[in-house]
Amino acid sequence: MRNDSSRTVVASSAAGWPRARVAKLTGLLALVVFVVAFPRMAADPFILSVGVIIMSYAVLATSWNFVGGFTGYISLGHASYSGLGGYATVLLILHTGVNPWLAMFLGGVIVALLAIPIGIASLRVRGASFVIVSIALVLILLLVFQSWGSFTGGSNGLRVPRPFGDEVLRPEQHERFFYLHAVLLAIAVLCWWLIDRSRFGTGLKAIREDEDKAQSLGVPTFAYKLVVFVISAFFTALGGGMYALWFGFLDPIFQFSILTGSYMVLMSLLGGIRNVFGPILGAVIVGYAMEFFKAQYGDTQIHLVALGVLLGIVVLFMPDGILPALRGLVIRFRPQATSIREVTQEELTRDATGSREESATDRGTGTKEEVSG
Amino acid sequence: MASEQQPSGNHLLELVDIEAGYGRAALVLRGLTVRVPPARVVCLVGPNGAGKSTVLKVASGMLTPRSGRILVGGQEATRYTPRRMLSAGLSHVLQGHSVFKELSVAENVRLGAYTVTSKADIAERVDFVKNLFPVVAERWNSLAGALSGGQQKQVEFARSLMVSPRVVLLDEPSMGLDPRATETVFEQIARMRSAGTAVLLVEQNARRALETADLGCVLDLGRVHISGPATELLADPRLGELYLGNRRAAPHAPTVTD
Repeated sequence: MRNDSSRTVVASSAAGWPRARVAKLTGLLALVVFVVAFPRMAADPFILSVGVIIMSYAVLATSWNFVGGFTGYISLGHASYSGLGGYATVLLILHTGVNPWLAMFLGGVIVALLAIPIGIASLRVRGASFVIVSIALVLILLLVFQSWGSFTGGSNGLRVPRPFGDEVLRPEQHERFFYLHAVLLAIAVLCWWLIDRSRFGTGLKAIREDEDKAQSLGVPTFAYKLVVFVISAFFTALGGGMYALWFGFLDPIFQFSILTGSYMVLMSLLGGIRNVFGPILGAVIVGYAMEFFKAQYGDTQIHLVALGVLLGIVVLFMPDGILPALRGLVIRFRPQATSIREVTQEELTRDATGSREESATDRGTGTKEEVSG
Repeated sequence: MASEQQPSGNHLLELVDIEAGYGRAALVLRGLTVRVPPARVVCLVGPNGAGKSTVLKVASGMLTPRSGRILVGGQEATRYTPRRMLSAGLSHVLQGHSVFKELSVAENVRLGAYTVTSKADIAERVDFVKNLFPVVAERWNSLAGALSGGQQKQVEFARSLMVSPRVVLLDEPSMGLDPRATETVFEQIARMRSAGTAVLLVEQNARRALETADLGCVLDLGRVHISGPATELLADPRLGELYLGNRRAAPHAPTVTD
């Protein structure tokens, strides 16, 4: 009734706003078409391999965002789970001879189980302490995997058996892995989206905003954090396993690297942690920029400098990430958009008199004995 | 006067001889007794530091009393956790703005029903609070942070009613609101009462609060000094004294509860 145009700050497009919904679905369809067509459009195997790398980053960043996006717990040590996932996959193939894809899945399950005690220990602390615990874990794993040469191959690394036969040539490999990563990404995105819309997701987002307040409303905060942490570790491990199968070689120094974990954080923050597509957008930008700088400037560390500048720009001008900044722009240029309800003088007087009458009747009935029980 | 008007079994919430404080610091509440009957608004007034907010924290289980008893519906509830207090029917609306600004109004309200498991019950409560608070229904899909302070307060009220509480604890609901929004807040409190919910209210805006309340308790230095029907308190000259700074007179004044 009153002032319908005021409802433009819409938190979710679930109800109302069919136009926004159509736009979203169209965008999603365009994204899917682009992903499906990308290997055909790629000019050469190198471009295709960059596509696989970006896809892999997108999987890892989206997996990281289960914890980072929902609960606001920033883990810099998610390389622990991608690294463990990679090693679990390869060691299972080497020692038990199971099918590589089954090994990848089992690797994910093993890491998820390991994540339970890790989560119980680390989710007790918040803020900077949690970040430090997550980094410590990566460093411990790095030392263990470097030193335990007889099992992990140590610093010499570990050669990964190819999941496809020798008749499948390199470009063909890239193409298959591009699509496999895309499927994994789609599953992770779907899972994130379902949680986002659920009661579980609402509880998690309440934790992100104010954990104590969430607890006072009866949200089982610790159990929720633990569950989403394990889900995140599971997907991160699958991402690590799939990357290992594609890349064909594991070295602890790259698997358990602080840098890998930092990339996941940077990509998610860049795109926007509150949006399911934020980490993917971040992965495309960061992944592409890194490969571009590496290709242009070779082995110099200029790509890290560029990333630092990028992070600075984002934090200064788009602290919530690119997607929320874009949405803000759209809302600003929409003609009737207002953030706070505009009330006319006429409405004010009408409201005031209306509610005073209401309250008069309330007081009349309220003092009688018509009680709950 | 509250404690003798009705037999103690009829009260929804009883705080008896409560002593409580924070950490090792001195006691804030020193033998305080407050009783809340069904579907009544009980208002706690008193100067800053009298222990008004502490009473609510003790009642909602956020602060465990050092001695004394808490009864909810006649049942012992002295060492309950906040979650158990919530399940027992006590809902606490904290001081200041406590909506989740980054969540939608819908999500905020549903968060209030976290201890409720039946979906049908939740849907029914959603309809109930939407009906009681038109602003909540109107801005259902907006981000709570985009609402004005008065509207956010109504979202908090709606959230607190989602568990079908027997008693709602309101800590300075009119803080920081303009006169019109304050008026709305007191109207909503009256509506909660007519919907059958008892309210334990802490307010600085004492006169306005007592106009809405059925019963009032004047707190000072951790004790109830005067209590009785709100209309009588409004007419009581000692109430003015407590607020006009002549504090030394108050502890010696004859009290009704003690």
